[in-house]
Amino acid sequence: MSTTSVPRFVRADGPDKVTGSGRYTADLTLTGTLVAKFKYAEVSHARIARLDVSAARAIPGVFAVLTQDDVPDVRFGPFVQDRTLFARDVVRFEGEIVAAVAAIDVPTAQRALNAIVVEYAPLPVVNDIEAALAADAPLVHEGWSQYGAADVLVRERNDASFASIAKGDVERGMAEADTVVHSRYVADGCHAAPIEPRAVVAQWEGNKVTIWTTTQVPFDARAGVCETLEMPASRVRIIVPHLGGGFGGKCGFHYEAHVAALAKATKRPVRLVFSRREEFIAPDRRREGIVFDFETGVKADGTIVARKVWLAIDNGAYTADAGFFSQLAAMHALGPYQVPNALAEAHLVYTNHQPSGSVRAPTAPQTCWALESHTDEVAKAIGMDPVAFRIKNAVATGKEGPSGQVYDEIGLVDCIEAATARAGYGDDLPDDEAIGVAIGWWPSFSAASGAYVKIDGDGSGQIITGAQECGTGAVMTLRQLVADELGMQPEDFELVYQDTSAAPYDMGATGSQTLFNNGRAAIAAAGQIAEQLKQLAADMLEASPADIVLADGAASVAGTPSRSVPITELAGIAAGGELLIGHGSGVPPAAQEVSGATCIGDVGMTAWVAPQFSCHAVRVKLDRDTGVARVLHVSTAHDSGTIINRIGATGQVEGGVMMGIGQALTEGTRYNDEGQQRNAALLEYKLQTCADAPPIDIHFVEINTPNAGPRGAKGLAEAPNVATAAAIANAIAKIAGTPIRQLPMTAERVWETMNTEGSPA
Amino acid sequence: MSDIVNYHLTVNGMDYPVNAAQGRNLLSVIRAEVGLTGTKEGCDDCECGACMVLLDGQPVNSCSFLAVQAQGRAITTVEGLQQGDEMHPLQRNILEEGGVQCGFCTPGMLLSATALLERNPSPTEEDVRIGLSGNLCRCTGYAKIVAAVQRTAAELHP
Ligand code: FES
Ligand code: FES
Repeated sequence: MSTTSVPRFVRADGPDKVTGSGRYTADLTLTGTLVAKFKYAEVSHARIARLDVSAARAIPGVFAVLTQDDVPDVRFGPFVQDRTLFARDVVRFEGEIVAAVAAIDVPTAQRALNAIVVEYAPLPVVNDIEAALAADAPLVHEGWSQYGAADVLVRERNDASFASIAKGDVERGMAEADTVVHSRYVADGCHAAPIEPRAVVAQWEGNKVTIWTTTQVPFDARAGVCETLEMPASRVRIIVPHLGGGFGGKCGFHYEAHVAALAKATKRPVRLVFSRREEFIAPDRRREGIVFDFETGVKADGTIVARKVWLAIDNGAYTADAGFFSQLAAMHALGPYQVPNALAEAHLVYTNHQPSGSVRAPTAPQTCWALESHTDEVAKAIGMDPVAFRIKNAVATGKEGPSGQVYDEIGLVDCIEAATARAGYGDDLPDDEAIGVAIGWWPSFSAASGAYVKIDGDGSGQIITGAQECGTGAVMTLRQLVADELGMQPEDFELVYQDTSAAPYDMGATGSQTLFNNGRAAIAAAGQIAEQLKQLAADMLEASPADIVLADGAASVAGTPSRSVPITELAGIAAGGELLIGHGSGVPPAAQEVSGATCIGDVGMTAWVAPQFSCHAVRVKLDRDTGVARVLHVSTAHDSGTIINRIGATGQVEGGVMMGIGQALTEGTRYNDEGQQRNAALLEYKLQTCADAPPIDIHFVEINTPNAGPRGAKGLAEAPNVATAAAIANAIAKIAGTPIRQLPMTAERVWETMNTEGSPA
Repeated sequence: MSDIVNYHLTVNGMDYPVNAAQGRNLLSVIRAEVGLTGTKEGCDDCECGACMVLLDGQPVNSCSFLAVQAQGRAITTVEGLQQGDEMHPLQRNILEEGGVQCGFCTPGMLLSATALLERNPSPTEEDVRIGLSGNLCRCTGYAKIVAAVQRTAAELHP
């Protein structure tokens, strides 16, 4: 239970959502809408020997069957241009699209899929991350060296992005250590699994297309359509109706271009709605599996002197937005610790699996799980309490982190102290229970962002923003910021959002950046209207604009509240003259330069603007006979800067922690020998239910962060997902007597670990 | 097509003539034929509870229920919870407690909770947690939803 008191904040989109009147993409129907369906590869790696869609095209009620031959021959991808809309010559994972059908109804579309003839010549399946790095491993992309790619990426055969962070002299550091601990961990991939499956509806008018879609990043989706269908941005309009969750899984550019191409070919609106199975196998956004190798050298007094990490990330068949994952994972693997001598080497490895991509704090929960499990091993090896060990070595205000960034005011140590104290760390517990502790960090992402604000003649306002709401409430909070700026009430404003043709650019619901960047933009836009209102009031009240105060729905002369005019009245005056319209963007805060570390494959992830910190302390009960772990209580402390919308913020922590519990115990993709997913259904994949959810204590360490977002806010949506699985792991390890080296830590794996010869039981 | 059948469904007290293939599930008929899209599809496989409706007050996953078999029974969807312009206390409380994020699980959650409070007007927290365990929510971590149901129970049965 949250112990913070929450003011009643009813979200603007709330009434639509609780009454069923809110429209999500799959709820839309346009006259003459056709049904879209995709033909998937189903095999993981093969050359297409024959693809014949003529029989499918001949079926009555089938309006179009498209393949790569029917769309511009464009390779796309934000980091490596390694993908085409439809498979060309080779399929590289089971969810790759070979053809798309538009038909009058679902049964006809299904018949068309069945009538498509595809013959495959099998290619060797690359199913193992480490084996894929071998010099003689089969290549996932024969033509990798010919692909266009971001200049900074270091690529070689199946390694799509190599990155390293090196500081000091790691060998000398290890030689100076009193104890060196070596550990290996393996994390399985897992899924964002929003409850709403993807849907896309496209309709053309003349040479312009409107696409309603379940994207978290409307402008990115638009860019993808423009790139692959070779159109200018001005002719593509992306609208997102209410979005049923994303967690990163709906970032990037997905099927908007396929559906637009079908709609163009058929001259009809076309609608695609994913099944749950498609949701599991097809998108190029799932959380990446990673193999880790850690070595840490410590002094007998508990000072870390050196850390060396090697890790390999499952990129899957295409790079999607994962190009920056290697450096980001390297940062997480070194961790929020003062490490004078550090070397992290990270590889992003092509396999014939579903592509990886940003899912809520990409690379962080699994890397935190591995590093923090290793950290407890290190503390145990020198006989030191793991919490004291963390406090001794954690980054702190004025201290230098593993990449050479020297931190401004940060609250990590406060987080550790608060979370452990509130959890009752150190109190006696039954012998089948323990409290595990882990710390995590996450950047705030600084980016360009825009918004307009207008106030109409009746005094009601609109915030027209490029920002995207995916459930977190970040866009909802804009009303509060704008209202405060203008001395009005949040309810005075409606939000116009999620429409690329209505509003200026925003990066979207990604990187926990909405409030951080769009909040700045909305405040700037409101500020312009504040100036207008002050001028109008000053003219009317015969005062100087500098003396006008906007509060409680009125403009008043400072110190003389009787000289006052309601804002609605000023709005009425403006409606007949210069309209009340503001636009804002603001300058994104810049990250500090780092020094003292050298980085290969540098994608800008080593210095973080307004970094967020967290500590989770989790009490777990473990049934030693079955290996079943149950989370009894979670205590969280977060430094995410100033909390502006407390009910939204606590909701992010609760949701993030629950996702972390799922990742810790049940959620993991299992592959067969052919690289196909074996548990692509909710029951087999197993999300946490209401009955599984433990009480969650929430504490925010609110300190004054330099260079933060509006009013000192940092991001928040991803950070609570980082440290939970790690804290659970450390609790289980305490009870089991040994760490569990695979994630998720299923009952089978825990039992097996405890019953393997040589493990202390 | 030969398997098209004509029948009537009573949804939120209104009678709807339906003309649809015999094998259609209740979810797709409510959404596409009756025209009420508040009921959501999350899996079409009885795994998520997003499609939950009430049949004579009993919660049912409408994706896994044949529409023709709902003839003659009172079907309640999320659109039927409101009385005129007044929100049901559960709707108001789930908003005020912050139990709605993306909102995709919300309709099913609300109907599940309605049935629960009907069965058990003063549930313990444990009762609520077990009662809602057929409704997956990926956003909220459930705490605020449970709080909303408990608050509603306390308001209705002080
Ligand atoms: S859609 Fe019916 S249970 Fe998921
Ligand atoms: S609010 Fe998003 S799934 Fe429950």
